[in-house]
Amino acid sequence: MTDFYERVDKRFPVFLIKIRDMNIKELQKLSRDLGLSLNRDEMIRIRSYFRSLDRDPTDVEIQAIAQAWSEHCCYKSSKHVLKKYIIGIDSPKVFLTGEDAGVVELDNDHVYVFKMESHNHPSAVEPYGGAATGVGGIIRDVLCMGAKPIALVDSLFFGNFDYPEKRLPKGMKNPRFIFNGVISGIRDYGNRVGIPTVSGITYFDPGYATNVLVNVGCVGVCRKENVIRSMVNKPGVNLVLVGGKTGRDGIHGVNFASRSFRSGEKVEKTAVQLGNPIIKEPLIHAVLESVDKKLIHGMKDLGGGGLSSVVGEMVLAGNVGAEVHLEMIPLKERDMAPWEIWISESQERMMLAVEDDKLKELLEIFDIWDVDATVIGKTIEDEKLILYYRDLKVMDLDTHFITSGPVYCRPYRIEYPGMKSYQTIPPEPDYKKLFRNILSSPNVTNKSYIIRQYDHEVKGSTVLKPLTGKLGLETHSNSSVIKPFENKNVGLAITSTSNPRTMKIDPYRGSKGIVDEAIRNLVSSNAVPHSLADNLNFGNPEDPSVMGQLYEAARGLGEIARYFDLPYVSGNVSLYNQTNRKSIPPTPTLMGIGVVKDIKSVVTVDIKKENSVLYQINPTFSEMGGSLYYDMYEYESSVVPDVNADMLKKAMENLLSAMEKGLILSCHDISDGGLAISLSEMAIGADIGMDINLADIQNIRTDFKLFSESNSRWVVEIDQKKEKEFLKIMEGTYVIRLGYTGGRELTVKDGDRKILSMDLEDIRNIWNTVPR
Amino acid sequence: MKTEDIRIALLRIEGTNCEDESLNALKSMGARPEHVHLNELIRKKRNLEDYQMLFIPGGFSAGDYIRAGIIFAARIKATIKNDLLKFIEDEKIVLGVCNGFQVLTELGILPGIENLWEEHPGAVLAPNISNKFECRWIYLKKERSVCPFNETLPDKVFSMPIAHAEGRFMLPENREKYLLEKMIDNGQIAFRYVDREGNFEGYPWNPNGSLYNIAGLCNMTGNVIGMMPHPERAFFDFQNLEFWRGNSETPGRYIFEGILKHISRKF
Repeated sequence: MTDFYERVDKRFPVFLIKIRDMNIKELQKLSRDLGLSLNRDEMIRIRSYFRSLDRDPTDVEIQAIAQAWSEHCCYKSSKHVLKKYIIGIDSPKVFLTGEDAGVVELDNDHVYVFKMESHNHPSAVEPYGGAATGVGGIIRDVLCMGAKPIALVDSLFFGNFDYPEKRLPKGMKNPRFIFNGVISGIRDYGNRVGIPTVSGITYFDPGYATNVLVNVGCVGVCRKENVIRSMVNKPGVNLVLVGGKTGRDGIHGVNFASRSFRSGEKVEKTAVQLGNPIIKEPLIHAVLESVDKKLIHGMKDLGGGGLSSVVGEMVLAGNVGAEVHLEMIPLKERDMAPWEIWISESQERMMLAVEDDKLKELLEIFDIWDVDATVIGKTIEDEKLILYYRDLKVMDLDTHFITSGPVYCRPYRIEYPGMKSYQTIPPEPDYKKLFRNILSSPNVTNKSYIIRQYDHEVKGSTVLKPLTGKLGLETHSNSSVIKPFENKNVGLAITSTSNPRTMKIDPYRGSKGIVDEAIRNLVSSNAVPHSLADNLNFGNPEDPSVMGQLYEAARGLGEIARYFDLPYVSGNVSLYNQTNRKSIPPTPTLMGIGVVKDIKSVVTVDIKKENSVLYQINPTFSEMGGSLYYDMYEYESSVVPDVNADMLKKAMENLLSAMEKGLILSCHDISDGGLAISLSEMAIGADIGMDINLADIQNIRTDFKLFSESNSRWVVEIDQKKEKEFLKIMEGTYVIRLGYTGGRELTVKDGDRKILSMDLEDIRNIWNTVPR
Repeated sequence: MKTEDIRIALLRIEGTNCEDESLNALKSMGARPEHVHLNELIRKKRNLEDYQMLFIPGGFSAGDYIRAGIIFAARIKATIKNDLLKFIEDEKIVLGVCNGFQVLTELGILPGIENLWEEHPGAVLAPNISNKFECRWIYLKKERSVCPFNETLPDKVFSMPIAHAEGRFMLPENREKYLLEKMIDNGQIAFRYVDREGNFEGYPWNPNGSLYNIAGLCNMTGNVIGMMPHPERAFFDFQNLEFWRGNSETPGRYIFEGILKHISRKF
């Protein structure tokens, strides 16, 4: 095999690879030996290309192509599906899409920028570093559009702590270890970099025991004229590499993220990058100062694929080329090979395109902040990427070939549970026991043990905090609200939603429900839903049933969003989340942004006073598929809650009008655990009890009334004196009178029958259970 | 001097991250706050003597990987120590919030019980007794003190947010009783952690386990002030955790108000 490599220069390691002479077996071996993660057909395509050029490639060239063609960089399995359902929901508010993050118009002068991205594979190998660099990466995605990052979101999916050690495949880390690492990683990075972590999900399910999911989102704001494109569109512009130094950390990260885990596998630690928030923090300042002074022509962050991806994509977008001198790049380790320098995914780096007359001023700004800024090359007229290492030319490739990764239309099989619909009818439960069990489920309990480790108030603009209510007795918020501008009262509401339980049973309805929940969460805080970002986490796309899940999920996500004119302005796909051929539950995660006209009119979850009236908005159905109740008791049901978009829209509009009139004292959506849990969370945050009667909910079983997770529902608190006015505004929407607030107990009756009565203090204590 | 003539340097290095909201708060009161990077003072691009107040905001200066505030303190000591000492001797105001408090403690200028500047730190802000970073709102009650905001803070229980991993104020064990008594006699204790009714209780009301429930203090001359709670996060009514429950108190504003009034009178 070594015969195929020829060393080109005695001084440093650059090799010619005689790919033209290789047979198919040898091509596959080459892909494995160099860690390229390319398949047979892709290798053949590379061979044909160099045969047509009549020369052999260098190792730098081969590595660059493999980077660009990885699933992570070119979405070769998912592009087709995304185009069909998710991309292209037309909306005038979309300012810019198809860049590193979505850019949406907020008012005449401002845009907001946001994105959510997965960091699953690295977090499974090195939870602390993987999660931390996930935060760092998403901040750069927002920053490189010229925007000031103002909030972080993280949606995390773990195996349960009691997952039997014996069932963990060899070499896999214990879920608790992963949990601790991921939470500390996010905490230590987010807190140090000074951006509040305001929202997220922490979900436990055995399906994630061997494949943790870490989805991190970031929101930023920017003046319209300061939005910077991720491209250079003229020759002669300086390429300035700023931020951290380049090292061996994060080599082949994208290739590694584009395949599955096997047990007993020793994954190269070098595939996980190391983050350093204390380089990032001043980098943010220096970049934003340069943006304000209009010194930057184009900008892109270095993430997956390193310099190779970033330079290639920036010049391709502007139809120019680039000439780069690799020896100029500041290194962490002196003896790095040219190919390693070119593809390293070391963190905290950004590429700035700066014109000659702005260069001096820019370098001075970076100097004050003690941040490295180095000119490493220039753009050129020819659409080529030309690399030098000292005097040797080590790469000369057409930009179009490098970025022309394959697109696959993989076979898919859709398994419709809906066609053979069934639902177990269980015996009537012991209500107190059932209520206790659900209230203490790790997916329902008080998340303050996580949330409070994150600084969610730094920057002083977190108006509605993730925990809200009476000091010391706070409950979960529906969404968080940030006030992004000093002199304006406009707010951005932020939420994140997903539902692995329903997705496992019916990905189409499950996905519709996830959009429904995002809308519900935003509306609950008196925000108008404005736009979405999706992060699709699935198993192995080469398995047709997994591709089927992806199709169904995309169809569901697209359908409801389109109905509400909610564009998906940015997205991310993470595939190959499987271990030993076992895929994760299909897990699309959404990040939803809503606009609050005046932050002082925000509505919160906690009950405001005694003797108010409580109403449920929209009906409850016998849709128990994927409910916590059925999941916990292992009752079977294929009937996953559906979404009636018409009904949801009407209710949303009515509810927002009622809020505008100040009629809604508090509001909570109904989701995990059903009505019983929503009522509890509203009571806990206020230390005010409730007297509830379920008789007016239409004719279904009492346990379904309390624990069904039907979509499109809210609970609202109304002043008795305003009841008539409320009912008038809600005309056209089904509302159900539930009872009154007051006292120190939660009492539930169905007609004359007593169902549940529990002291608020007890409820709080059960809800405060920390998973062990 | 007039409030609009008061110049305030918000000192920062890498990892300082509460400077924007602090600047906004002070600006909204009519003063002239500016961001000043330590490098700008070192390279003489700006001069400390042009300011009446030095404010070290919260954050994780230089990453706080060793002990909170120690690196920032070491850089100050190695560069602008003499300028800072003169600043303090001139009875100008030095305020440290959260990480800033940690920096002032590591510098040896807080608690400042016996000398204006101790060669070695006279106290420590140790890791919280919960042994973790905590971000939440807590209750406080002011003490009678020589701090410039003693008059402007209301005489009742009020609330502010904290967000730190190292905020447990401790004095040297062998001299603890003596030094604490001296602090009390000097009127150096600004405010203390309390429960909802105003009683001095332990964790979680005392969120870090501070000695004597101390949350904020000043040196013996009252011009160097440190506090763990964040006044800039309790400055506008809508920042209050319980704003939605009808609580529009803004204790952070009273703190800055007191300091600015003091400077106006003095200079």
